[in-house]
Amino acid sequence: MEDILHSINWAVVAPLIIIQVILVIVALIDWTKAKNTNGPKWLWFIIIIFLNIIGPILYFLFGRRQQ
Amino acid sequence: MMKVLFKKEVLENWRNKKWIWVPLVFILLAIMDPITNYYLPDILESVGGLEGGAVIELPTFSPADAIMMSVSQYSTLGVLVIVLLSMGIISGERKSGVIELVLVKPVSYTKFVLAKWLSLLLLVFAAFIIGMMASWYYTNILYGEITFSMLLAVIFYYGLWLLFVCTVSIFFNTVTQSPGIVAFATIGTTAGISLVTSLLGIRLAWSPTNLSVYIQELLVTGDVSSELMYTTIISIVLIALILLASIYRFNRTFIRRSQ
Amino acid sequence: MTILSVSNLAKQFNNTYAVKDLAYQFTPHQCIALIGPNGAGKTTTLQMIAGLLQPTSGEIIFDKHKSIDRRTLIGYLPQQPVFYSWMTGSEFLVYSGQLGGLTKTASRKRSAELLDITGISEAKNKRIGNYSGGMKQRLGIAQAIIHQPKLLMLDEPVSSLDPIGRREVLTLLEQLKTEMTVLFSTHILSDADEISDELILLRKGEMIESGKMKDLRQKYQTTKITLQFLENQAFYQKKVAALPHVTRTLLERDTVQVIATNIETARQEILQQAVDEKWPLLAFKLEQATLEEMFMKAVNDA
Repeated sequence: MEDILHSINWAVVAPLIIIQVILVIVALIDWTKAKNTNGPKWLWFIIIIFLNIIGPILYFLFGRRQQ
Repeated sequence: MMKVLFKKEVLENWRNKKWIWVPLVFILLAIMDPITNYYLPDILESVGGLEGGAVIELPTFSPADAIMMSVSQYSTLGVLVIVLLSMGIISGERKSGVIELVLVKPVSYTKFVLAKWLSLLLLVFAAFIIGMMASWYYTNILYGEITFSMLLAVIFYYGLWLLFVCTVSIFFNTVTQSPGIVAFATIGTTAGISLVTSLLGIRLAWSPTNLSVYIQELLVTGDVSSELMYTTIISIVLIALILLASIYRFNRTFIRRSQ
Repeated sequence: MTILSVSNLAKQFNNTYAVKDLAYQFTPHQCIALIGPNGAGKTTTLQMIAGLLQPTSGEIIFDKHKSIDRRTLIGYLPQQPVFYSWMTGSEFLVYSGQLGGLTKTASRKRSAELLDITGISEAKNKRIGNYSGGMKQRLGIAQAIIHQPKLLMLDEPVSSLDPIGRREVLTLLEQLKTEMTVLFSTHILSDADEISDELILLRKGEMIESGKMKDLRQKYQTTKITLQFLENQAFYQKKVAALPHVTRTLLERDTVQVIATNIETARQEILQQAVDEKWPLLAFKLEQATLEEMFMKAVNDA
């Protein structure tokens, strides 16, 4: 397992991780400000945090109240 | 008037953070597969090495294959994201009733639809182009060179397919007041066209769903085939017709809408 | 002089007419009440004039302005206005003004004025999503008049408001009358009676009465008897209704309203029976009734 951690060029992989982190942060900021969401608010917190990559996207598409 | 309507859409997409998350998601979709496939041999080797057993034959990928990985992600998840983010662009405003306060003002129905369409295109194309640039960058450092002009060609031809999807979504937005039905109908339509195209094969060679097939050929051969040319023309004509149909539908439905 | 004439206006939904054969000439600087019970076709009428609904038949003509989009001349407030909740009140007004044909600068200036007039300037930079119902109603009126229309139409503008809010809106409408024609719908006679100069009474989509309030008051002037009993108002209402000269009775709060063909005879009959049967009569009052009989007729027959 250590071999692989050494063989990966972190400069290459970093953007992948950074983008995911930004998505989670932006989703959480929006989640904090939102007065109400579609469905229970705490559930969306769990989705944003624990569903890798798609959690924040699901929140933006379905969790936010638009109008 | 068009400018006022358009600016409102851009501002709305900023306030609801679409301008942040859509480009980020498109970058992710574009670079995920090229990166994982690049490291796949290392990962498998380290896992397989422990077992000390089976030898796995891994295909080696060309730069063209790498670019096509991004394109194929866009064809599935990218289209899905576009459909879901555009499903309520007009229908949602009709459903909530906010459209009444807009259309009692002397607003042209045609310009209203065009402003919605253009604002959707601006967002989707910004995200798509940024995503393709990221894909191009990774392809060049991990797999080998693809020329910039070749990248532009891929963006142009594949962009036509995304333009087609956006326009279909706008069309269904003018037909129904339910965002869910818009999403369902848009996905159904694009999937239906793909299915019919693959069933009829050569007889539907110029179907817009074949754009990605010809793009792959273009990447390998470097030449724009006549099939690609004709498919491009057919796609542009179809997009124009669907857009006109949307404008016509909206003018008619809105005025004749029952209570 | 007329500003807008509507003739033979009709709207058919499936097989029923929501509005039928409506005709009216609108005079400038008048306040016109469109009155009728729920389902009489008030909203349909307003939406057709506003251009939100295509009439099945009939004409809507703004005099002197036949060639331009009539929405330029109209301000409209729906019964339950919905806004973009992500915009601030000020942003929404500026946007509405621009859609109404103002330049951005002009729209900003006019928005500031209207925010003051409607009393929501303190909340102008708050998201509309955080507005209360009353604030949304004021914002709704502001967006309707931002482009200085010739005709302002409001769908039940006071029915959802508390007494104070109602008073404020009615006063505002009276002021606006000096600048434009005001047409508003209501199902409450007293709202119409209070501020309007003209009245259109709708029932089941048909205009059953219309004209100047002054003339209508004269036309429908009758005398009515108001009775109040210690208890069991409904029970005595039936008794009174059974009397030969009584044409109509109505239970209103805890009084019984009586309208008769011959008020003098009816009075005799009621008093006689009250004595004979020892009715627990608390109050007996003879009053001039004006439009109520007309309105009751429309409501009861609906």
